[in-house]
Amino acid sequence: MPITLKIQRSLEGKQWTQDYSLELEKGMTVLSALIKIKETLDPTLSFTASCRSGICGACAVRVNGNAVLACETPLGDLVKRYQSETLTIAPLANFVVLRDLIVDWKPKYTNLKKIKPALQPKDEFSAAAGCKQSPADFKKYQKNSECILCGSCVSECSKSTANSNDFLEPFVFAKAQKFVADSRDKDVLAHLDPAVKEGLWKCFNCQQCAAKCPKGLNPAEDIEKLRIMTFKKKMSSNAGSDHAQAFYDDIRDTGRLDETKLGFKTEGVKSALRVPFAYRLMKTGKLAPFEKTEVIPEIEKVRTILSAAKEVK
Amino acid sequence: MKYALFPGCVLRGAASEAFLATVKVTEALGIDLVEIPSWTCCGASHLQDVDDLTALAVNARNLAIAESMGLPIMTVCNTCTLQLRRAKESLDTDPALKAKINAILAKSGYEYKGTAEVTHLLWVLASNPQLLEGKVVKPLTGLKAAGFYGCHLLRPPTIMNYEDSLNPQSLEKIIRLLGAEPVNFDFKLKCCGFHAFWTAEKDVMKVTGQTVDSAAKAGAEVVVTPCPLCQLQLDMYQPEGRTAIQTSAELPILHLPQLIGLALGMSKDDLGVKRHISAADKVRS
Amino acid sequence: MDKMNRRTFLKVGAAAGAAVLTSGCFGWFGDNIPAAVRNGTALYDVLIIGSGGAGMRAALEAAKQKGLKVAVMTKMVPTRSATCMAQGGINGAARHTDEKDSPASHAFDTIKGGDYLCDQDAVDFYTERAPEVLWELDYSGIAFNRKDDGRFDQRKMGGSTYSRTAFSADITGHAVLHTMFEQCLKHEIDFISECQLLEIVTAKGKFSGVVAMDMRSGNIMPIPAKSVIVATGGYGRAYWVRTSNPFSSTGDGIAACFNVGIPVKDPEMVQFHPTGLAVNGVLLSEASRGEGAYLLNKDGERFMARYAPKAMELGPRDLVAQAIEKEINEGRGIGEGLSSAVYMDFRHLGRAKIMERLPQVYQLALEFEGVDIAEQPVPIRTSCHYSMGGIDVIDYKTCATKMPGVFAAGECSCISVHGANRLGGNSLVEILVFGKSAGAGAAEYAKSNNYEENKEALQSAVEGWNKKFSEATGRSTGPSIASIRDKMALTMWNNAGVFRTEPGLTQAFADISALQEEYKQCAVGDSSKTFNISFMNYVELGNLLVLAKVIISGAMARKESRGSHSRVDFPKRDDKNFLQHTLITKDGDKLKTEYRPVVVTKYKPEERKY
Repeated sequence: MPITLKIQRSLEGKQWTQDYSLELEKGMTVLSALIKIKETLDPTLSFTASCRSGICGACAVRVNGNAVLACETPLGDLVKRYQSETLTIAPLANFVVLRDLIVDWKPKYTNLKKIKPALQPKDEFSAAAGCKQSPADFKKYQKNSECILCGSCVSECSKSTANSNDFLEPFVFAKAQKFVADSRDKDVLAHLDPAVKEGLWKCFNCQQCAAKCPKGLNPAEDIEKLRIMTFKKKMSSNAGSDHAQAFYDDIRDTGRLDETKLGFKTEGVKSALRVPFAYRLMKTGKLAPFEKTEVIPEIEKVRTILSAAKEVK
Repeated sequence: MKYALFPGCVLRGAASEAFLATVKVTEALGIDLVEIPSWTCCGASHLQDVDDLTALAVNARNLAIAESMGLPIMTVCNTCTLQLRRAKESLDTDPALKAKINAILAKSGYEYKGTAEVTHLLWVLASNPQLLEGKVVKPLTGLKAAGFYGCHLLRPPTIMNYEDSLNPQSLEKIIRLLGAEPVNFDFKLKCCGFHAFWTAEKDVMKVTGQTVDSAAKAGAEVVVTPCPLCQLQLDMYQPEGRTAIQTSAELPILHLPQLIGLALGMSKDDLGVKRHISAADKVRS
Repeated sequence: MDKMNRRTFLKVGAAAGAAVLTSGCFGWFGDNIPAAVRNGTALYDVLIIGSGGAGMRAALEAAKQKGLKVAVMTKMVPTRSATCMAQGGINGAARHTDEKDSPASHAFDTIKGGDYLCDQDAVDFYTERAPEVLWELDYSGIAFNRKDDGRFDQRKMGGSTYSRTAFSADITGHAVLHTMFEQCLKHEIDFISECQLLEIVTAKGKFSGVVAMDMRSGNIMPIPAKSVIVATGGYGRAYWVRTSNPFSSTGDGIAACFNVGIPVKDPEMVQFHPTGLAVNGVLLSEASRGEGAYLLNKDGERFMARYAPKAMELGPRDLVAQAIEKEINEGRGIGEGLSSAVYMDFRHLGRAKIMERLPQVYQLALEFEGVDIAEQPVPIRTSCHYSMGGIDVIDYKTCATKMPGVFAAGECSCISVHGANRLGGNSLVEILVFGKSAGAGAAEYAKSNNYEENKEALQSAVEGWNKKFSEATGRSTGPSIASIRDKMALTMWNNAGVFRTEPGLTQAFADISALQEEYKQCAVGDSSKTFNISFMNYVELGNLLVLAKVIISGAMARKESRGSHSRVDFPKRDDKNFLQHTLITKDGDKLKTEYRPVVVTKYKPEERKY
């Protein structure tokens, strides 16, 4: 079957889309198609690739706006998914593009350094004898160690796309969580603190990173785990943690969310500035500030559960 | 068809028009809904940030109550769907965890068995198009509707596996069955920003504006979404969205059951469109 | 030279600025290279070429010397190196699983596994330092699988008497590489990224610097340095598609050393890994056999019973690879021609064990062959996997070569610890043991030697490469890189592959010579200065052609069969004449072949039976 790849190209400031037609062969992946184009149609098409087996992370690109690892993505599957013989290929989003499909990783390493990306082994361990860790504890961070730094999680990250200046890439949070969950590490806060400072609570929870990781990591869940750890470590509160705590308190108090108080619980007195917005809602009846939130009948059973969950280690 | 309904908090509060529309539409289509007694908030991804075991126990309780009703669960909010399905997945695949949670639940007399499936109204209708047969008395002919899915109904695909998260078609299918014309737009599968409003407000207003603008630029007259949180975000904050990116397009944002209700012959007022902030007047009667 | 660099720098900077202003996201930022390199004021004490396990470990060691300027240069970005592809594990007699293990046992297994071509003093040095490398890795945060007692686990790999292979599921290489990268980030090691090595430059017989191309700008730059550690990996891509190696394994550092007169040792010792996916050569970890998978021919027979009755599938790689090729050659394989194969069968292991111990193997078989190994056997075939041969290291304690200032570590080096065949798990530990030695050795050299400046030679080399760039990229007609490369790979696989003969090797030599002529007319097809991957591929191909000839020469001269080198016309091992290392040195336009006796200390060569 003939297919067309529309590739978003760039060179020294010039940008253009170039169409390439080729025959979809059995077993063809996005990478093998790119190689075929480079070797038989256009040697100027530029991309990076190395292991061609999903472990070096060099070949992530966007197809129809979604990041994939080119070497392990069969083109046939994409044709089927999008019901089209024309596919658009572009470099990863949220990266500076160097040429065609090649992107700049240097700024990402700078961000990675912010969360202190190396083990700080506990004092009881030594380089001479290694460390001790139970198999169960190993499993707690093993998945996070499988990140191949491919950048797929970054491309459609909603927060990074809106503004990456006060945020870290999803894989950076996943790396931070790796150390936080590694029982050999002696200083959780060394990784957690910078994560909080660099936007941990600004994640949109859009789950794009979880959906895109070719190795099955879940940075969105790691962000959740890091947030939980800020509570466990009794770190100072912020709008994000206050917002989360408000849900806990509401469930304990009435079983359900008390929308009218949510603003105040999250922002404190600043919520007074939201009066114009609140008025807009009250006009159409969306906000009924004097309506009391009903308490669910079984609230005591809920409270018992909340207490019991707190007791469990 | 009978389901245990998990309404979710906003259907009690800010999005009560969605509850109204859901009840009216399911009744008209012959779907029996029994509200889960004494359900609690699902945590909405925020309780989940406080403590994992607590959030899991809270939702295990919700699931256990539905199980005791002997009914599958229907949700009408994306985030509720994700949190309940996540809880279910964790409990069903980890016997040790399930035992731990059941020990907590036992203190209040509940037991999670894993027998109730969790589905969303959109999925029920997309899988059972015959329910709409003969009921679309006022086809929305010529109405260009942009279906905005909302993140939590699609991702992560391991949990939200009803359809392909990169090219879902369920909303478009329903829109067509209602006689309207689905509009493809760049922001169809993106995030409205609702959950980050308190921590990244400026960014959230930007994406809110971009979403509405994207739909408008693609020719949509209305945006329809299966998630009341997305509806709240795109409706309530639409003016701020416009300001953030300096655009002017104003679009009504409909809850999925509202769009269906209109095609079933119900009026705007029947469906609570009056409660909307943005462009409520632009919705055809 | 400084003026030219500054002018270029400003021109390029202005272009970048303009690009950024006009095109938003589509600009480039030239900070892949430290400013001092860009403006020509850098003088490194230790310059490391290659950011794999050996290169990064060397950098960490060299950087321990306060005040030394150390940098790692890579043609990609750090974590893409071939190290990440190693799967099965990393060896060391840490005795976590087998109390009876010892560095001596590890040494003997290595020497026997290498078919007695290993230098036994070097092997002892290596196996004695292996356990501490494992404990250091653990302390550095590597994701090792653990035992119940909390220590990292060790399993058995082919050719090892005891269980001495520590592992991270079946992606141990990835774990090693990323742990090294984390440590490099922690210790603020300088990386010179996206720079392709072009040439090594000497002065008065000593190392003086390298010439490299900054891929982002296309600038060909001199990088003066007191010492260099070459850690550029192997040359499996001489067989192109029939290799498990990544696209980057093009022997760049070995060719660069060869070109300045450093010998290549035992180049003919190319390991053919038995279990590469038939369809594309991608490796299925030896851990597969370690966990109990069977090898079956088309009749469903576990044919290893006829080749290694005791060890069966856990015989050393060369034995198993040759067994597979024999089965195929004698008609007991499946499929035809280059896609012939035999089966690897995991079904009896059960899905749970497969998913826990071999998740990556499972994924690869599913992705590339469409086979669920819990349900079906998967077709596999021999693939070129590892280069035992490489840059002749003459001092195993420092990794020094015969040229002052040039050191080599990792797969690109030949110490020799692997001899004629490498055991699974021995490469990952080699890169760390010798990365450490080389780092210390080069640092010591830099501290105690003056820099031998040779601005003229560096400049002349830069000019030469600028000319080559213009010519090769300016040609509008001529053979393509891919066409030359595919012909090279075909003759190499057919004539210098698993089984070799004199006429075959002679043909291969002639073929490569002809290809080198064609190469002179090669049309690169891309004349841009910005990120010219095609030109990089052209340089790599040039290196492969040089090394192909070296491999063939070594294979032709070694008239015996030993380890991975199998001469059909000389099927027996000949210790009398060939208990020696092959040394191929550049001699003008020709190749000089010499020999150096293997160092035998404790173990007299015996017949290798498994």
